[in-house]
Amino acid sequence: MAHTPTTALSTALSLDLCQKGDRLRIVDLVAQPRFGAQDEQVTLRLKELGFLPGSHLLVIGFGLLGHDPLAVQVNGTKFALRRAEAAKILVERMQMEGKP
Amino acid sequence: MIRFALVGNPNCGKTSLFNRLTGARAKVANYPGVTVERRSGELTGLGQPAELIDLPGTYSLHVTSPDEQVARDIILGQMKGEAAPDVLVAVVDATNLRLGLRLVLELKILNMPMVLVLNQMDAARQRGISIDNAGLSQAVGLPVVDTVAVQRGGVEALLTELRRFAAAPPAPKSAAPAALLAREETVEVLYTRIQNLLADFVTQPATAPPWQDKLDSIVMHPVLGWGVLLGVLLLTFQAVFAWAAPLVDLIDAGMVMTGEFVGAHLPEGILKDFLVNGIIAGTGSVLVFLPQIIFLFLFILVLEDTGYLPRAAFLLDRPMRGVGLSGRSFIPMLSSFACAVPGIMATRTIQDPRERFITIMTAPLMTCSARLPVYALVIAAFIPERTVFGFLNLQGLTLFVLYIAGIISAALVAWLLRRRESREEFPLLLELPSYRWPMPYHVFLGLRERTMIFLKRVGTIILALSVLLWFLATYPHAPADATRAAIEYSYAGQLGLWMQPLFAPLGFNWQMCIALIPAMAAREVAVSALATVYAVGGDNVDAALGGLLAQSWSLPVALAYLAWFVYAPQCISTIAVVRRETNSLAATAFFTAYLFALAYFAAWVVYRLALMWT
Repeated sequence: MAHTPTTALSTALSLDLCQKGDRLRIVDLVAQPRFGAQDEQVTLRLKELGFLPGSHLLVIGFGLLGHDPLAVQVNGTKFALRRAEAAKILVERMQMEGKP
Repeated sequence: MIRFALVGNPNCGKTSLFNRLTGARAKVANYPGVTVERRSGELTGLGQPAELIDLPGTYSLHVTSPDEQVARDIILGQMKGEAAPDVLVAVVDATNLRLGLRLVLELKILNMPMVLVLNQMDAARQRGISIDNAGLSQAVGLPVVDTVAVQRGGVEALLTELRRFAAAPPAPKSAAPAALLAREETVEVLYTRIQNLLADFVTQPATAPPWQDKLDSIVMHPVLGWGVLLGVLLLTFQAVFAWAAPLVDLIDAGMVMTGEFVGAHLPEGILKDFLVNGIIAGTGSVLVFLPQIIFLFLFILVLEDTGYLPRAAFLLDRPMRGVGLSGRSFIPMLSSFACAVPGIMATRTIQDPRERFITIMTAPLMTCSARLPVYALVIAAFIPERTVFGFLNLQGLTLFVLYIAGIISAALVAWLLRRRESREEFPLLLELPSYRWPMPYHVFLGLRERTMIFLKRVGTIILALSVLLWFLATYPHAPADATRAAIEYSYAGQLGLWMQPLFAPLGFNWQMCIALIPAMAAREVAVSALATVYAVGGDNVDAALGGLLAQSWSLPVALAYLAWFVYAPQCISTIAVVRRETNSLAATAFFTAYLFALAYFAAWVVYRLALMWT
């Protein structure tokens, strides 16, 4: 179910594959076929809420079953996302300073 | 009259601000044609009459849910029967500037008169956020004011600004508002602009207060979080049943004294019978439940105010998805514990139409506060007051089981309704707002509103039905050679005896059948109906209703009656709101039929099982 980026962004992974505590930078928003015809609306709403390429993102936590939904913080605001939405968000890990 | 509209993101403190500005003068009504609650209030002290409207919270004018649609339609003047407001009061949470400013800049494109309000400035200052209002004002081209909605004097600057608008009302717009720009292009442009504004006029530390994150790491913890959620719910039920009890007893004693006083000072006759058995027994038996209803609403209002509810929705999303719902259905469901009518209205925040439908169909299975009087009466009469498992009150536990029965049934019904549809998915995308202390004034206004609604019901519907029922239970008088109790000859007795065979498989007696009819107006009327029927029929007027029931019903019958009330759609207002919200006669008929069928079936099963047991 994971998106394998076909572009040159070899380090990018989709948000639903990340771990709690990960500090990430959004690279791109991609299509999610499970949202069908409204997928474009979902992309725009995500952008309006601040999920824009370049924004920093922190994974706060996960729900109990199947690590779903997940809670993230973007621009200081916290949101709950399902895996389906998270899979639309391509991210890259940020360089950690001395932290594991 | 000049009309102001509050517009802003959900959770930006808009409604607290509204309460602070309009205070006791707020009115809740419906927009014509649609059923969205329209909260408006009179603004005084502006030098001329002014109205303030509280719009549903929205993130964008590109809407994704029915309530965002309302906000947008009103702003753009596209709501039927409602002119566009003269001035927009755009509210931004100062601790969440980026998200709020985006909507403001989008609104700015409409070129309407507008003032920018930076709300919750107290929390922002505590976090070390400081904003150059003058610079921001100049850069965005709007007046900018600070407010602290939770403080008494926290809105003075805003009132000054509103006075200025009132003194020189903006000219009515000649043309329609400017068209919305293409959404695709604006979103990144706006954020770039916000980035520059923040850099130029705002100093803010990188992090939110650490206690917020610490709290979240417990409250949203996959295991601990569930403990918190369960604890909160259990505490609520304990409070409703145990803490409210002394107040309930106090009102009860007051009503009994009133009845005795009237009984002792009036001559025997029809007037005394009418006052004691009709009015005092009827309304008093419902009035005693006011403390429990206040406690229930207190908990719901406080939970709403603190920002906890979206966290609960986060935890519940996955389990609720198992039955075809989502975390978004949680808040309407929780409101339905107070009353299904606002609960069903709150489904407007659900984006998925099918999910919204299922939530509407199942929300009334959540035990509403009107059922509390019935449950409380029957539980107090039949369930011994005992401590089980060392700390739980058996009566409280029974109440809890009734609530759980409703929840599990709702899950099953939702699952059945969802099974038929295979569909595209809808996103969750739920903001988890900052925690904040509940605002006592806000909670007080909410409680006052609920108390007034309840007292109004006691004074109107319940009083009228009590009088009607007293009449039906008193006339015609028994013939002189009567062999049975007088009430069995009355209209009510005849009606009850006629209905009784229908409910015989459930063990209901004819008094219980009579009580079901006025309960259609409001469930709690069942209690006053029982009070009147037993008071008129019995010799001992002073005996508490619970004691009378304990003598005349068996335990299986009492349990079956409880089971009936878990399911039966015993409330015309709920059926009416389902009709309006679904806008479908077929859906409403389905709703009514399936709940009555379920009630009959559940009561039958409980009756049979309990008979085998005892």
